[in-house]
Amino acid sequence: MQSASSLVQTVESTSPNLSDANLTLVQLVARNANQHGAGIAFREKELGLWKEYNWQDYLDNVTCLAAGLESLGFQPGDTLMVMGDNRPKLYWAMIAAGGLRGKAMPVYPDAAPDEVLHFCKLSQLRFVIAEDQEQIDKLLDLREEIGTIEHVIYVKPRGMRSYQVPGLVGYDELIERGRQRLDADAQLRDSIINRSRPEDPAIYLHSSGTTGLPKAIVIQNRRILSGVLSAYEGERFRLHEEIIAYLPMAWVGDFALTVAAAIALRFTVNIPEGQETVLRDMREAAPTFYLAAPRSWDNMLTTMQVRMQESTPIKKWLYDFFMGLALEREKRRFNSEEPTIIQKLLKPIGEIMVYGPIKDNFGLSRVKNAFTGGEAMGEDTFLFYRALGIRLMQLYGQTESSAFTSTHQADEIRLHTVGKPLPGVEVKISESGEILVRSNSVFDGYQGNEKATNETLVDGWLHTGDAGYLEEDGHLVVLGRVSEVVYTATGERYIPNYIENRIKFDPIIKDVAVFGRDRDYLTALVCIDLDSVGNWAEQHGVSYISYADLSQKPEVLEQAQKALEHVNDVLPEALKIKRFANLHKEFDPDDGEITRTRKLRRKVVEERYQPIIDALYGGQLDVTMRAQVTYDTGESGSIERILAIKDLNR
Amino acid sequence: MFYRQAAIRHTSYDQTKKLYPIPFDKWLVVAVLLVALLAPFMMSGLYLNSYLLPWVIWSTAALSLNLLMGYAGQIHLGYAAVMAIGAYSSVHAMRLGVPFEFALILGGATAMIIGVGFGFTALRVKGLYLAISTLAVQYLVDWVLTHVPAIGGGTQATLQTPTPALLGFEITTDIGRYYLAFGWCALVTIFMLNVKRTGLGRALIAVREKDYAASVLGVNSYYYKLIAFAVSSFFGGVTGAILAFTFFGAVTPEQYSIDISIQILAMVVVGGLGSVLGSFFGAGFILLAPLFLNNMVTGMAEAYDFGVSRSILSHIPLILYGGLIMLFLLFEPLGLAKIYDNIRKYFLVWPFGFSRR
Repeated sequence: MQSASSLVQTVESTSPNLSDANLTLVQLVARNANQHGAGIAFREKELGLWKEYNWQDYLDNVTCLAAGLESLGFQPGDTLMVMGDNRPKLYWAMIAAGGLRGKAMPVYPDAAPDEVLHFCKLSQLRFVIAEDQEQIDKLLDLREEIGTIEHVIYVKPRGMRSYQVPGLVGYDELIERGRQRLDADAQLRDSIINRSRPEDPAIYLHSSGTTGLPKAIVIQNRRILSGVLSAYEGERFRLHEEIIAYLPMAWVGDFALTVAAAIALRFTVNIPEGQETVLRDMREAAPTFYLAAPRSWDNMLTTMQVRMQESTPIKKWLYDFFMGLALEREKRRFNSEEPTIIQKLLKPIGEIMVYGPIKDNFGLSRVKNAFTGGEAMGEDTFLFYRALGIRLMQLYGQTESSAFTSTHQADEIRLHTVGKPLPGVEVKISESGEILVRSNSVFDGYQGNEKATNETLVDGWLHTGDAGYLEEDGHLVVLGRVSEVVYTATGERYIPNYIENRIKFDPIIKDVAVFGRDRDYLTALVCIDLDSVGNWAEQHGVSYISYADLSQKPEVLEQAQKALEHVNDVLPEALKIKRFANLHKEFDPDDGEITRTRKLRRKVVEERYQPIIDALYGGQLDVTMRAQVTYDTGESGSIERILAIKDLNR
Repeated sequence: MFYRQAAIRHTSYDQTKKLYPIPFDKWLVVAVLLVALLAPFMMSGLYLNSYLLPWVIWSTAALSLNLLMGYAGQIHLGYAAVMAIGAYSSVHAMRLGVPFEFALILGGATAMIIGVGFGFTALRVKGLYLAISTLAVQYLVDWVLTHVPAIGGGTQATLQTPTPALLGFEITTDIGRYYLAFGWCALVTIFMLNVKRTGLGRALIAVREKDYAASVLGVNSYYYKLIAFAVSSFFGGVTGAILAFTFFGAVTPEQYSIDISIQILAMVVVGGLGSVLGSFFGAGFILLAPLFLNNMVTGMAEAYDFGVSRSILSHIPLILYGGLIMLFLLFEPLGLAKIYDNIRKYFLVWPFGFSRR
């Protein structure tokens, strides 16, 4: 309770709106509903229209759901698994579970069955809420194996009518049941709102598991709220931001932003119609705050570049001219030089002609604070968005610290740093060069994994597993995972991820894995970007029948070679990539090669593609890759591919 | 570049029917409206009376014809005659002591009744046959005007229009007359912009595309063709009266001759069938292009000696004018409105080449 009361003071000192002593999410929702009932909390796009829900609707749904859940037998400490895309109803369910002192456990909507199984077994799961029939089907297949599931709630009734499954109940029916209970008992509503405590869990997440199986992490209300509030205190958030919720619900960033920050600071959360329509809905939503993984920023950049390539000559020329100018200016700025007079004069014209329209097209024109987090971002991508006039900032944090550790501040952007630690966050560097974090928002240990907890939490310091250092002025520099620092045979030290991010800036490259541990030189395995290269092939009359076919076209190999050589130009001699091959498929989370947040699982890749790596270092000009494939029907077969290996000239 | 579309979103289906969802379009309309309203104070009487006023009136006429031709797809070669009916009826009505406002409506109503009468032929014939039968309206009305003294005032007669008065205020100034024409033009424009969004507009368009297909869909094509003739004739009649009251100050048969019918037709076609904006462009082009071309050629002939005789010189503007119409229609058969639309779309997707999805 010590830290909880100190948080009250923090709350009071930041803003009168946050001074309420209610310190769980459900209590904050109730306060918002009382004081700002008509404020829009959610805007969900449905059949082309944005359906609005205010804070009163929010609270109604949460309390009815909680009452309904309780009537099903939901006890304090129980877990509610949440399956699906971002939907207000699923968010409400998460808050309702928290209100009943239980835990909501979101999983990635495209999580493979064995991952789901792993999560369920960790938590004695009895309750599940799923978005639609697809998720329900996935769950019902696993139900017997999991064994403990008693109640399954579905949100979208489409296709569900014929299901005769014990414990299956519709969202609306559950709400109705809860409403009857609330009508019958006048005290129940207040009781539900006041039941939870700050040290009760707010959310139950899993680490992404780049190394080994995902670990279970429970974040308490006070942890997540203090993370959000210190970010607010550090002026990274403002009140009433408009945000767009499209990040997977199982990622800590989404919970911190769409739920915790949205409730504490009364955001309006815009929810796109579906994952496929995010880009388009983004323009209609026009968020004022935007957090995305570097992957998404890269994708958006690729889309911009591809669409510019298809544009008309005059527009293209203007784009090239003004973007070149802005990039030059941005580079000067990072070298602490004043922009030239011409650059200054042409900036407003560029804003009207190029930067403004591009931002408008992608719904970025109202963004005041934009963040990238979850992974390191390529410098060129970062520069590009800064040049467009978007105040893109790095955010550094991990699930274990409730997503917020340190970020850039508007006026203090450095390319290589992630900014200063947020107020209330202590950061130090261990002797081995690892970043350690201590703050109110650091979690209390992995669920059911004491060994890992003891390794990670020592004397209240969170061992992040990231290598880095603090600069003299307090800026934190993150180099990469400690476990990922790699030495070549010649003793050259490097972090593959850093080089990979630079390579991925090129729109034609979607993913790349760089090898070189205990070898004489570096090599790369490249996954081309089908959209971008396919478009290029179309324009240049290169015909192809599949991804694999396209990837091995001499013209495409040449393109990839150019992209790598471009990066080689800035790498030190010992770290230049000497040879590469184009892979016949993209890295796929379903194959375990990357995580759901698209981080490379290096071990898996190295094992699976051992023959290619051997060939890369063996001096051959091609390699035959045999792969076991399991089809959707359950049959398995093998595919044989000859992959070309190319030498780099520069 | 100009068309910013971020944060345009709809929370109800009614909002999706907005005329101008994009702010730039809206502000452009507001700007044009302001210019049109302030114009009388910014330009000389000559320009107001001989350029702007006729442009506004003829645009209204083109709009009215566009309802019939562009929306409902029924050709009309005698539209000037419809206007004549309106003009003569309202002048006579006023002379008989009917107040101006009612005289206008009476003129429109008469034009409507006679127009619908001829419209009945449209129920039976299509295309060229309809063209010929509407041409008959023109000749019949011309004949009646010159041969029935009770209506036309006798051969070679000119009927002076009484001074119009709106709500008791007499309109005697150029500016007042301009505002009268402008007001009527605004009403018709608003009607035309909105009719597309109604069931009536959609039914008309269905009839235009294929009348028996529309019938199969349950649209009574006879009924809607008559509606189109009625509404269009009413507007045409009132516009004819406005033309007489504000521009000519008198009515003579020559003002509503077959040449005029062809000109209005040209305005609609050059501007763009079925386009509100096109009616303004078309009227502007057909009306003002000859004037400008004439001035240009005369000016150049004075500056440089072309060495051609005066009689040939006077034909050069006409040749250029005809050439221009052909060029425009070759370049964009859908008219000036489509050219504007192409330019707008070029900027709409700026800086990209085309829109996605």
